[in-house]
Amino acid sequence: MTTLATPPQESEREEAPPAPPSQARRHVGRWILFGMMLCVAVIMLYPFWVMIITSLKSETQFLSGGGFSWLSWKTLTDNIPIFQEVLSSTIVCSASIFVILCVGLPAGFAFSKLRFRASTTIFLGLVSAMMVPLQAILMPEFVNVTKLGLTGGYFGAILVYAALGTPFSTFLFTTYFRGVPDELIEAGIVDGLGYVGVLGRLVVPIAVPAIATVTVLQFIQIWDDLLVGLLFIQNTSERPITVGLAVLAAGRTTSIPALMAGSLVSALPAMLVYLGFQRYLVKGLTMGIDR
Amino acid sequence: MSVITATTKQNAGPWMTLRRRRQFAGFLFTLPALALVIGFIGIPIGQAIYYSFTSWNGLTSQWIGPSTWSQAFHNSNLWTALQNNALLLLSVPFALGLPLCIAVLLHQRVAGWKVFRSIYFMPTAISWVVLGLVAERFFAYQGTLNSIIHFFGFSHTNTNMLGYESTALSALGITFVFTMIGTNTMLFLTGLATLDPTLEEAARIDGAGRWRIFRSITLPHLSRFIQLAFVMTVIALFSALFSLIFVMTGGGPGYATTTMEFLIYQTGFNQGDFGTAALYGIILFVLTAIVGIVQLRLIGSDE
Repeated sequence: MTTLATPPQESEREEAPPAPPSQARRHVGRWILFGMMLCVAVIMLYPFWVMIITSLKSETQFLSGGGFSWLSWKTLTDNIPIFQEVLSSTIVCSASIFVILCVGLPAGFAFSKLRFRASTTIFLGLVSAMMVPLQAILMPEFVNVTKLGLTGGYFGAILVYAALGTPFSTFLFTTYFRGVPDELIEAGIVDGLGYVGVLGRLVVPIAVPAIATVTVLQFIQIWDDLLVGLLFIQNTSERPITVGLAVLAAGRTTSIPALMAGSLVSALPAMLVYLGFQRYLVKGLTMGIDR
Repeated sequence: MSVITATTKQNAGPWMTLRRRRQFAGFLFTLPALALVIGFIGIPIGQAIYYSFTSWNGLTSQWIGPSTWSQAFHNSNLWTALQNNALLLLSVPFALGLPLCIAVLLHQRVAGWKVFRSIYFMPTAISWVVLGLVAERFFAYQGTLNSIIHFFGFSHTNTNMLGYESTALSALGITFVFTMIGTNTMLFLTGLATLDPTLEEAARIDGAGRWRIFRSITLPHLSRFIQLAFVMTVIALFSALFSLIFVMTGGGPGYATTTMEFLIYQTGFNQGDFGTAALYGIILFVLTAIVGIVQLRLIGSDE
């Protein structure tokens, strides 16, 4: 990434640089910039504004347009089984991420430090699975998981999420471990830790930033997903929150203020994770090109 | 993990050299990931190809042969979905251009830019299900869009973009652009942060104007980030619109907002035609594979 275009050279004058714009002009420019940024901020905050304002109306107030009340929040649990749905989302999310880490971290370690015959080919094959959208294999996947009897509980969804998240996570771990010196691993082996010991005692502690990145990325991905939860969790009493909201919305019979209150509840955890771990997210997104 | 320990020790007898032991351990470490991905992604691809030649309802399948494919290509729904996907591609320049402008804006580092950055990225954390619900409120008859139109004095103009075949896809495209702004802005901003500020400074001293600096320094520097954002946006367009469509339009009115991915879902789960849905899946797979090869080359060129 160091092949930058050279700055325009045609004006190689030895004169003094052009006079800087006056203080006043610069000030005006800054204010214009600030105003533009404010406009963008209003647009980006719009969803939150809609959710908050709408959820603070009762259904009649929503239809007539005027007034505010806490009614939709007080009756939220009557309209949407919100506690159970948040619990389901939490279970599915944490279990899937756990599987992804257990599977992706050793694989990433092996692909970067314990190379074996054909490991590069296998690595490329695994990583290219990243490009397969679930929809492309939806029908066989659904039938397979159903035949295995896994759509009854959370297991089907967890395994599908884990399989979908593994290629990118393995890629991320592999890239990360390439930056770790080989000597460290050698030292562990020489000290008689064995490969599993090295993995557990040396590699995992080193990999904490990469683990955080994978966790944050996958948390948002899985928490926000609809399709897998919709198809691979058959019991309505085990529905994750996004599925609950989407099904209610598609039915078009639920009161919209209640739906917006539920949306706000569903958005909150992902947003907190997001604001808290923003830098890990950025790291993960640009992994592979940002050096 | 204990399973792996046991097998490593068992097989790694004294006849194994250190080198071979290391390779064997490496192989074992990749095995769980491989099993998961082959079982849940690899095998289903093969099955999808097989079942695309059959008549399949999920329980029993009957081999038909290549005629399923010629039949599928005579189905107007497939062409409608492909056309919708193609039309939605028109939103990609906006999904890249707007974030680029926003990133450049943020990069000026006006007072409070970090707060603005957090605000701009916030919608990225929200589910597209929720963003779809909000977008529905925006485009609804009594929604924000009409309020804005009325505010500017056109009090007799009322839109209902999601309600008409002619406008529903545009509404979906606009929503898609909004949902992509956060991610792409983040990418571009990361790219801008790696740009050496002295370079811009030097150009400015040499008398280059703002536009000139942007075109000759900033844009070339960002090219890889723009490529990555392009690929990610196109892939999202092909495979992540499901939530938005499910919540906003259900594929309608008619088939106006049915894209390939939604057509697969509808054909399989609403019509019970698993065979045709598997076939559509293969088409979607090929479409994304084309884009995917571009991305792999991007990643590959790094090594």
